[in-house]
Amino acid sequence: MADWRLIADDGVTASFGLAADDCLAQRVGREESPPTLRLYTYRSHCALVGRFQNVDNEVRRDYCAAHGIAINRRPTGGGAIIMGADQLGVALMLPGRGDDAYSRARELMAQFSAGVVNGLHALGVAASFRRKNDVEVGGRKIVGLGIYRAPGGGLLFHASLLIGLDLPLMLRVLHTPFEKISDKEIATVANRMTTVRREVGREMAIDEVRMRVAEGYAAAFGVSLAPGDFTADERRAISTLQSLKYLTDEWINQTTAVPDALGSVKVKTPGGLLDVRATLAGNTVKAVLIGGDFFADEGAIADLEASLRWHSADPDAVAATLARAYADRAHDLAALPLDSLVQVVQQAVRRARVTESAARADPYGCFVNPEGVGADTATPAPVAENAHV
Amino acid sequence: MPTIGDYSFPPELYYEPGNHVWARPDGEVVTIGLDTLGVAALGDLAYIVLKPVGAEVRHGEAAGTFEAAKMVGDLFTPVSGVITAHNEAALRDPSLVNRDPYGAGWLAKITPADWAYDAAQLVQGVEIEYWAEGEVERYRS
Repeated sequence: MADWRLIADDGVTASFGLAADDCLAQRVGREESPPTLRLYTYRSHCALVGRFQNVDNEVRRDYCAAHGIAINRRPTGGGAIIMGADQLGVALMLPGRGDDAYSRARELMAQFSAGVVNGLHALGVAASFRRKNDVEVGGRKIVGLGIYRAPGGGLLFHASLLIGLDLPLMLRVLHTPFEKISDKEIATVANRMTTVRREVGREMAIDEVRMRVAEGYAAAFGVSLAPGDFTADERRAISTLQSLKYLTDEWINQTTAVPDALGSVKVKTPGGLLDVRATLAGNTVKAVLIGGDFFADEGAIADLEASLRWHSADPDAVAATLARAYADRAHDLAALPLDSLVQVVQQAVRRARVTESAARADPYGCFVNPEGVGADTATPAPVAENAHV
Repeated sequence: MPTIGDYSFPPELYYEPGNHVWARPDGEVVTIGLDTLGVAALGDLAYIVLKPVGAEVRHGEAAGTFEAAKMVGDLFTPVSGVITAHNEAALRDPSLVNRDPYGAGWLAKITPADWAYDAAQLVQGVEIEYWAEGEVERYRS
């Protein structure tokens, strides 16, 4: 039975937490460090954007600066999150197969998430891997996932497991497609996400979750876990990577040529008012929010939304995916006709693409979110943080 | 053109066998992009970032980074040299690579340092069909 190292650490800074995962993934790929499972928490709180996201479009810098919330960028993809003492970070660093650089992401994601799913089952949470990037409980997201193939071939699997979550804080830290944040919006998000504590209905210590997740990985991969720590060599390399990458403005505030955009549509349909908001990164749908006063099961709506997360914005592809997701929950969506839903979602996506095209023609205009943050000219520096853990 | 199922491999191109990046020599420059099997394995591309024009790159090393289906990885170049052009349209809309990987979805042009040396390490001509069959079988298994 193979041995993996198990590292447990808590209260780390954003730059240390990310640099450690990145550094170990590279070292494991070069066989300079052993395969490692790291189960850790960040110092409350930090905001972490996905590898290529634009910080200004995802995070409220002014709020973060005023409340000591560090901002940083993950090496892995996906959306922006907040991390702190109630969110367990999972980082699995394994050697990649050198001859298979573009291995199938979805299969790897399902395979790597098995440990965290096992751990949740052991805690009595009926979680399952759904679609390409989520672990869900009854349609509510409880774990976000991402994979990074490091130079040298090492693989880093990242997961953020919600043991608890301060939802109002999250909505103050991250930009959302909502026009305002009231109890209604908080309730909407609460219907799309869940936490371990909510599912088990009691307090749950981080260490208990950590133990179950560790056991879950040992069982899923048939390995034994040897508790350990970073070596002195690793700490030096992590510190260097912090200085050269994760504490630099160049890394944190980088942007890409792919523009973000928002489109929204409100339409009276036979089923009631449909209020759909779509956020795009170029030709990729980042998120779709489906609201209104129609009658439908909230879990079914969450399923529809999740089916379009990080999905092509091609209208036919959107229609096909919605039809498949709808068919799975047709009974719960009977009052919401599929054709109306498809038309309104496609219209919201089309509006976002028009906005994006206009922004490309006028690159200095504000186009990203309904609150006009994209038009800010003053960009507060990210919160300074101690490089030492 | 060698075609296996949904995957086609134009015979005039050169292929990096492990990474599914193609190369097309044209006068003084070599154009590179992802082949149809590489694109299928990755899924919808959301972001591509390349090293800047003027940057030196080495065969088998990263010329850029991409995000697809929430996997982030390096884009490996099949040729050493200097990047002379980006496909700005594909960088703004990476779905172009999914839609037309051998045409409008090309990624970069590189002035090679030693094309003959690089080409000898790539799959080409009559080798393509045999190699492609093996790769598609491996992908489907």
